[in-house]
Amino acid sequence: MTEQRKDILDMLAAGKITAEEAEQLIAALERDQAPATASHDARSKGKVKYLRVVVDATDNGEPSRVNVRVPLQLLRAGVRLAALVPPQALVKANASLSDSGVPIDLTQLKPEQLEALVEHLDEVTVEVDSPDATVRVFCE
Amino acid sequence: MPQLVTVKVNRPDRRPVRVWVPVLPLVLVLFPVVVLVVLAAIVACVVFRIGVVLALGAAWRVISALPGARFDIEQGRTAVLVAIR
Repeated sequence: MTEQRKDILDMLAAGKITAEEAEQLIAALERDQAPATASHDARSKGKVKYLRVVVDATDNGEPSRVNVRVPLQLLRAGVRLAALVPPQALVKANASLSDSGVPIDLTQLKPEQLEALVEHLDEVTVEVDSPDATVRVFCE
Repeated sequence: MPQLVTVKVNRPDRRPVRVWVPVLPLVLVLFPVVVLVVLAAIVACVVFRIGVVLALGAAWRVISALPGARFDIEQGRTAVLVAIR
């Protein structure tokens, strides 16, 4: 229950407004909330389609550039594929990662968490500037 | 499903190479190989106790999501571009 809806019900319980007025206020509240929710859904689902990685660097005096565009749908599909990796393979991967100094427990990483991460990538922009290189990761 | 893969390679002192690969005709030509690969994948799924249908479905999702991917790498006068449409 939203705060505004609770306020309306409190006013009704306190006798400050009638039941009809409360109904009208709740209806108006729902009308206001519906377009806002729809526009948020459109932004998060419709417009952003690609993850871009752009690297501009100078390597031994020569300019180098990496420009990668990956569909977000591909990331989602990859998450689903990664969810099929058998547990015994994850245990071996954990051991190798631990030996390499990266103590991450991959068995604790759930596909739902990864999907949520991909869903919210559209709000992420990473920019790294150094004298030799510039890295930009963003969605478009 | 991807329709066309474009590969461009520019190297210094050599002619640039540009290849357009139509995926569907290539898959049809290599159909026997594709069947063998799918069979090998099914056997691997059975051996590692992975759901065959789930695995094939996930692989198909990955293939279907490929259009739009683009990898462009340049270093000096050398450049490689792979674009999937």
